Amino acid sequence: MSESIDKPVDVQQIKTLLEANNGARIKTWLSICSRCGLCAESCFFYLANDRDPRLSPAYKFKNTLGLMYRKKGNVDREFLKKCYDIIWGECTTCKRCSMYCPFGIDIATLIATARSICFSQGIVPEGLARTSANYRETGNQMGMSTEDFLETCQWMAEETAEEIRGLTIPIDKPGAKYMYTVNAREPMFYPQDLAMAAQIFTVAEEDWTIPSSGWDCTNLAMFAGDKALAGHVVKLMYDKALQLGVEKILITECGHAYRSAAFEGPYFAGCTGGKPPVEIVHSVRLFYEYLRDGRIKIDPDKILTEPVTYQDPCNVSRNGGLWEEGRKIIQFLAEDFRDMSPNREHNHCCGGGGGYIPMGPEFKKRRMLSGRVKAEQIRNTGAKIVITPCHNCFDQVNDLNKEYDLNVRVLSFKEIITEIMIVPEKFQPVDEEEAGDDE
Amino acid sequence: MAQIEYKGKNFEIDEDGFISSFDQWCPEWVDYVKSSEGISELTEEHWKVIHVLQDYYKKHGIAPMVRILTKVTGYKLKYIYELFPSGPGKGACKMAGLPKPTGCV
Repeated sequence: MSESIDKPVDVQQIKTLLEANNGARIKTWLSICSRCGLCAESCFFYLANDRDPRLSPAYKFKNTLGLMYRKKGNVDREFLKKCYDIIWGECTTCKRCSMYCPFGIDIATLIATARSICFSQGIVPEGLARTSANYRETGNQMGMSTEDFLETCQWMAEETAEEIRGLTIPIDKPGAKYMYTVNAREPMFYPQDLAMAAQIFTVAEEDWTIPSSGWDCTNLAMFAGDKALAGHVVKLMYDKALQLGVEKILITECGHAYRSAAFEGPYFAGCTGGKPPVEIVHSVRLFYEYLRDGRIKIDPDKILTEPVTYQDPCNVSRNGGLWEEGRKIIQFLAEDFRDMSPNREHNHCCGGGGGYIPMGPEFKKRRMLSGRVKAEQIRNTGAKIVITPCHNCFDQVNDLNKEYDLNVRVLSFKEIITEIMIVPEKFQPVDEEEAGDDE
Repeated sequence: MAQIEYKGKNFEIDEDGFISSFDQWCPEWVDYVKSSEGISELTEEHWKVIHVLQDYYKKHGIAPMVRILTKVTGYKLKYIYELFPSGPGKGACKMAGLPKPTGCV
C-alpha cells in the first residue's frame, strides 16, 4: 500500500463519489444479490484457496462497496484499508463471475468502483501509484521520453532491415490505415516486439504508423481507480489518432490495453455514446485476417509440431470477444492444439490481471497461490508451448512455470509468426557478396 | 521479505526474488541468483552488463532502457538475451541488485 498519510478520511468526498456512482444499475446490483453462491465456483481465488467463502465474489463486493453504501460513506481509514486487501489483493476484475451470476451482476465493475473510492483517499497499491506518476509526466507507464522512444524505434528498424529488405518503422504517417500502439515495456525492455511487429506489417504490406505520442496503449490508471488519469491516458491516444487522421488504432498483444481503448476508455475520456472516436482493432483480429487472406503465409515445413495450448487473456477473449480468432490463428501455426478446460470466454484469468503483476512483491505470494488453478489447467493439456497475446498473461504463466515446474515455453503470436512465416523474395535481404558482384 | 544466507553474506529478498536494497549487493549475490536466471557460467560479458546497469542506476535511480544498454556495452540485442535468458528487464536487473522495474514487467 502506498504510504498514505494517516489523516481522517474525507467522508464528504466519499459520499459525493458514491452519489455519482449510485445509478439505477449499481443500486439494483447491490440489492439484487441473493447469495446463491454461483459466483463463488467461478472465481479462481476461491477455487485455489480451499473454497474459502471470504473469497467468493459476492462476499468481496458486499464487504467493500456494499458496506460503503450501507454506511452512506461514513467509513474510516481502517475500513478502507481492509477494503484495499480485498479489492486489489483478492480480485483481478477478470469478469468471469459476471458470466455465472444469474442476475448478471457485473461484480468487477463494483470492485472497480470501490477501487476508485479508496483511491480518492490516497489508498492505492504503491506499484500502481508509481506508474500513475509516470503516466502523468510522460503519458506512458514507464516514464520514457519521446526522444528515447523514437530512437528505439529507429534502432529496431535499422537492425531489422538487415533481415527484411525495405523494412521501416514509419512515425506519425498521416492518414495511415493503422496507428500501432504498444505497451511501454516493449520499447523499454523488449524492443524485439517492435521489430517483430514491423516484420509482420512489412510482409503483409500494411499501411501503418507508430505515433510519436499516445503510443502507450496500456492504462494501469484504470486499475488504480484513478478514472481522471485513465481518461487522460486514453485521450492521448485518441487525440493523436484524430490528429494524424488514421483509420484505426491497432493494439499490441496486450489484454487490458484493449479493454481500455475499446470499452472502458471512451467512458473515462467522456466520449459520446461510449464509443471510441476511431475504430479499435486488436492484433489478434488483424493477425487472423492476414493469415485468412493469405497476406501472411506460413512455411508448411516450419509449422509447430509440439503440443500447444492457448491462454485466453480475459480482456481479449471474455471481455474482448476474440476467442475464436485466437484459435483460428493457431490452426495456421500448429498441428497439435490442445485447448484448456474450461476455455474461450469461460477460461480462467491467468491470475495476474487487473494490475496484479505491476503491484509487485506485495501480492506475489498470493498471485502464485491463486495461480494454481491456471497451472493445473495448463498441466492437464500436456502442452509444451503456451501461446498468449497478452504481456501480463505471458509474465504470469512464466512465473507459474517456475513455481509449478510446468516445463512449458510461453510465446506470443508475433514471436511464432515471425519465426515461421514465408518471407517473399522481394523482402529477402540482398546478399552482400552478390550485391558487390553486381556493381 | 525473506532472509537468505550465501557464502557468508546475508541478503533480504522480496517476494519477487529481488534484494530489498541496492546497498546489500555484492558479487556473491550474482553467484547466488545466476542458476535461477538460466546462467551456468558467469563471463566477463555478464559482468560488463551488470556494471553498466549499476552505473546507470546510481546516476538515474531507475533501470536503463535496453537501447542504452546496447549502446554502452556495444552488444547486439540478441547477444544480451543470450547472456541473460530471462531478459535485460528482469533477469539482469535482479542480478545487478536493482529493484524490479515499475509497471507491466
